[in-house]
Amino acid sequence: MKVEFKARRLDLLRMHLDVIREAFKQAVAPDRVTVEYPRERKKYPANFRGIIVFDKDKCISCFRCAHICPANAIQMTFYEKAWPGIDYTKCIFCHFCVDSCPTGALRSTKIHDIAFATMGEMKLNAVQMLKAPELTREDSFTVEYVVDPQGWRLEKKAEIDELALEQFIIPEKRRVSVCVDPESCLGCRLCVELCPNDAISVDRKANKLNILPEKCTGCGICVRNCPMKVLELKEVK
Amino acid sequence: MQEWQIVLPEKKHKKKFFGNLLEEVIKPAICSHCTACAAICPVKGITAGDRPIDFPNWLKDCVDCGACVKVCPRWDYRPLGGVGSYIEMFSARSKRFLGQDGAMVTEFTATALEEGIVERAIFVARDEEWRTRTVSIIDPEQLKNRKITGTKYSFADVLPAVKEAVLDSKAVAFVGTPCMISALRKMQRSFRKFERVKLAIGLFCTENFYHSQLSEFLAKKGVAMKDVLKTDIKKGKFIVKKADGEITFPVKELDGIIPPGCKVCQDFSAVEADVSVGSVGSEAGFSTVLVRSDIAKRIADAIRARGYAEFRDASLEAVKKLCDYKVKIHPYPPKKEG
Amino acid sequence: MIEVLIDLIRYFLSILKSNQLDIPLIKPIIALIMKIVAQIPIPYLSNLVDLILAVILWRPLFAVVVMPGLTVLMIYLLYIVWFERKLTARIQWRVGPLEVYRPLRGAIQALADGIRYLFQEAIVHKDAHRPYFVQLPILAFIPVLLPIAFIPAGNVVGIKSPYAVQLTIAFISLIPITVIAIGWASNSRFAFIGSVREALMYVAYEIPFIVAAISMIFLYKSGDPYIIVENQWIPGAILNPLAFLVFLIAMLMATSRLPFEIPEADQEIAFGPFVEYSGILFGLVMVLAYEKLYVMALLFTILFLGGWNGIYISLLGDLNAPIWLTIKTIVVISIIAMVRSMYARYRIDQAIRIGFSWLLAFSMVALAIGVVIGYEGGI
Repeated sequence: MKVEFKARRLDLLRMHLDVIREAFKQAVAPDRVTVEYPRERKKYPANFRGIIVFDKDKCISCFRCAHICPANAIQMTFYEKAWPGIDYTKCIFCHFCVDSCPTGALRSTKIHDIAFATMGEMKLNAVQMLKAPELTREDSFTVEYVVDPQGWRLEKKAEIDELALEQFIIPEKRRVSVCVDPESCLGCRLCVELCPNDAISVDRKANKLNILPEKCTGCGICVRNCPMKVLELKEVK
Repeated sequence: MQEWQIVLPEKKHKKKFFGNLLEEVIKPAICSHCTACAAICPVKGITAGDRPIDFPNWLKDCVDCGACVKVCPRWDYRPLGGVGSYIEMFSARSKRFLGQDGAMVTEFTATALEEGIVERAIFVARDEEWRTRTVSIIDPEQLKNRKITGTKYSFADVLPAVKEAVLDSKAVAFVGTPCMISALRKMQRSFRKFERVKLAIGLFCTENFYHSQLSEFLAKKGVAMKDVLKTDIKKGKFIVKKADGEITFPVKELDGIIPPGCKVCQDFSAVEADVSVGSVGSEAGFSTVLVRSDIAKRIADAIRARGYAEFRDASLEAVKKLCDYKVKIHPYPPKKEG
Repeated sequence: MIEVLIDLIRYFLSILKSNQLDIPLIKPIIALIMKIVAQIPIPYLSNLVDLILAVILWRPLFAVVVMPGLTVLMIYLLYIVWFERKLTARIQWRVGPLEVYRPLRGAIQALADGIRYLFQEAIVHKDAHRPYFVQLPILAFIPVLLPIAFIPAGNVVGIKSPYAVQLTIAFISLIPITVIAIGWASNSRFAFIGSVREALMYVAYEIPFIVAAISMIFLYKSGDPYIIVENQWIPGAILNPLAFLVFLIAMLMATSRLPFEIPEADQEIAFGPFVEYSGILFGLVMVLAYEKLYVMALLFTILFLGGWNGIYISLLGDLNAPIWLTIKTIVVISIIAMVRSMYARYRIDQAIRIGFSWLLAFSMVALAIGVVIGYEGGI
């Protein structure tokens, strides 16, 4: 690589001076972006995946959260209906369960720094998930990364971030189970036995099956288990 | 409120429906092992495979839906026989594929896939020991595999595979023995979803065997199954081709291992199929084809138009002779041997 | 018997009193203390207090123990660790030590570390040469601390000698030998590699360092610090800038500071010759490098920055010179601490190449300049 010898030396000198100048500038006015947690807390965005909170009134016991969890962290146990309990030794906070919940019964929060005293405490059941866990807040500042044309910097505000909100209202698409192909129905009555809300019933004398749409919550258990796949979930206007 | 009617067959015994099947079909030894009941059982309790049909623990597990009774071809059995109705009959040999004789079953399936008449076909493949398993054909290229084409003289669970295919796909084809074809027609009459089976290819059939029993029998004759290249039944002789020669013996010697359900069957030429294919009535290397339905006619015309096969005339008398022979030797109700 | 003792003490007192530090600021305070003590009716108490004060304010003792001696050394150690870590962190967008005492934002981290080392188990592993392993860190302090006895600060000096500069250079040259011996005594592969690296670096910087110092001696025509400081109306840095540069870079190399932190590179060689040390022995070896830097910075200040020249405040009297010397030394050390945060580490072959090519050449030229300026009849 043929470079002019003198020019290279001058370049080196210029680079040395650049470095020294930068060091002095940083010593006087540092660009640092350290968040002094826990006295400051970084402001998390609205879709942050934290601890999950459960609303029992919205749950329709469709078991979707338990089925979709990639870490097998959700177990359903029966209280009034089958409610999910999350095992935080396994949970990877992917929030597939929150995404898959058709009624929004599982909700996220901005809380991520929970400590448990024993491993047994980490398996939360549904009743323990009804409220967000209690935190001792040591922070008095909220810190936010602000990106603008000059670069990015840390903005400190003397306010406390609300952690337990995240009320995403899911537009409710109510769906009910409908038999789309009654001529293929085997008459096996598996749907009748599996329905957790007794929305499908059978009349053994008249050999008739019927679905009561007002009782159906759209959980989809009958649809998944029909051997001839004649049931489908259809939206109700 | 949505309401629909289900139709239950009449029970002949005061038991659950499988108990009825047991009493009427399995215990009297007229079960043809078509596996339609195993296919349709909603709790998958009925077992098939290389053993007689059974439902272990049916007293507790059977949900008494009656589907098995609805689809069983031997329930209220009225044997069918004879050549059956057909639109045309010919002898042909596929130019593209190699099979048992003229590979016309393979050719019909390949053309049906290419024409878009079906999306998927259920075939039976074999392993080195000639054990059977079902395969799903979606591309004619798969039919170049010689382990997939050709006759396997053993039971295979074809109808359960057909049921799974029908739930996934809207146009299905399959190959089966006459009892399977009859079972399919019953399934189509009872449950509309099976109308998705657009092409049912029937084989000329005198009997089938359990693989374990056939294997044992041939072993006694000094033949290991994995040495067998091809099996054939022609003119009352069972021919086993090996790499180093051929072994032949009269079919009568196999009488001991013919399943009793086959001994009441009078349907040689698969009268309920869309198309029936077999070697009887053609010369060596050619298959006799009986085109029975419009769909089969469409496919046959396509084969002709594209020149995928070589066509000759078939001998109707030969086929008729064998149909009558089968009716004669398999009376129903069976004669009590004294 | 008692009379002989009292006579002896009086004799010592007279020696002490003949060489007292002269600080007008504290004279009234001393007088006050003497008056208060005189009130207390304990026999010989005022004599005792007088003796103690005389001892403390005896110039040689003051030079060696207080300023620029061990006490300042201790305070400097606390300061430099805090300053270096915080400043480096600041430049590197970090915060540095923060939690030790929150109101001070981590300033006493070094003290906490030192106390921890006292409580930690000093493990001497099975393969080490035990006597050398344990004793060498202590023995290594001999060449490090001895120069402090010779370096003067105005009237305050431990041992007055016209060869103080040469003595200091000689002692500084002895230190790397102890470091190499420490690595050898550890009997471990990383320590061995670290020793080898230390030896290579030693050879690389030593010659330019000595030549640069000698060039200044030629320039001032004497190795006596008093004459050197007296002749520095213009600071030595401007008189012989090449020597200044060479000495600075040799200082970086000698004390294992980035960009020449080669024998002790954390990420490459797991702390080099000192890898097997733990507990208070580790505390000692950590301190070794800082003290070597202190001594070299003292020499640097005297040769190039005008030593203890500065604004004379009459109130402080004799304390002026030590205070100015200390301030200048601390400034030099602070700037060297900042260099650490700016540069990456040189490879061993690059560093040796620098030592044997550029540094040697510049030092020779500096020697020539020194001879020329010195020969011209002084400044």
